[in-house]
Amino acid sequence: MRPVDKKDQSAVYQRVVLKNASPYHYMKVCLVLEDESTRLSAVELKQFIITGLKNLYGEVGAALTFDLLKYNEDTLTALLRVYSRGLVKLWSSLTLLGSYQNQACAFRVLQVSPFLLALTGNSRELQLD
Amino acid sequence: MVRVKSRYLLCELVVSDRSRLLLLDDRAIALAVKAAVARTHGDYGAALCSVGFSVKYLNAHTGIVFLRLPKRCYRLLWSALPFITSVETRGQRIPCFLNCLHVGGTIRTCQKFLIRYNAQQLHRMLPKCKNEEEKQQVRQAILSCSLTRGNNEALEDELGGEEEDEEE
Repeated sequence: MRPVDKKDQSAVYQRVVLKNASPYHYMKVCLVLEDESTRLSAVELKQFIITGLKNLYGEVGAALTFDLLKYNEDTLTALLRVYSRGLVKLWSSLTLLGSYQNQACAFRVLQVSPFLLALTGNSRELQLD
Repeated sequence: MVRVKSRYLLCELVVSDRSRLLLLDDRAIALAVKAAVARTHGDYGAALCSVGFSVKYLNAHTGIVFLRLPKRCYRLLWSALPFITSVETRGQRIPCFLNCLHVGGTIRTCQKFLIRYNAQQLHRMLPKCKNEEEKQQVRQAILSCSLTRGNNEALEDELGGEEEDEEE
């Protein structure tokens, strides 16, 4: 970094970059099913994601620990937490999960962030009145 | 610089019943390894195993196997080997396990290691010999250890034969 003159200090622009700042990554996902009236409980959803991990990554993948922090049963929206090393495995297995009990389904990933606070606001759902 | 690199895993197949070892062939071992990798690492592991993996050499008398694995994923496939509990061949299920002895970059380095390892095994067998005849055979085998063509097979066959004597 270049040394800064004392009289320039107020005008200096500083950019702080955090690498691997948080051990966890948080994902907000929404499950879209063919039959829109089916409801899953939290346990069923976690079991479903674990079967997806098991199909793609085997026993080792199914042992990947992730947590279901919040779940809204009516909209099937969930907040998942996973260790940063396991994010790629979890996200790819969510992408490739195609069917739930013989009906077609898809996981829509709405937000991903290493900080939980960042998931509170979403510029896509921003209402400007 | 632009060579395709791979890793060769020198493994020993350990079975409780030596006579059943003779029934094995490399395709059975390859199937067993692929099944174990598919179970442990899922579709991702099965895909990694489909391209660069092969069984290069199998000695049915001593149970030595050379597996060729691609360099970028050999550790992942290696981690699935302890989960192999049996090998299925010709309708028979042989319980066994794979013991990894050495990882080398080429078959030649694995061969060199195998010769040194066999010589060490012979040295270990020497004090356990029961009569003078066997001692002579073991000393002969140790003296004839060298990396020349044709000698390798002879050395390993002799080692297999002597291990059978010991077990009696």
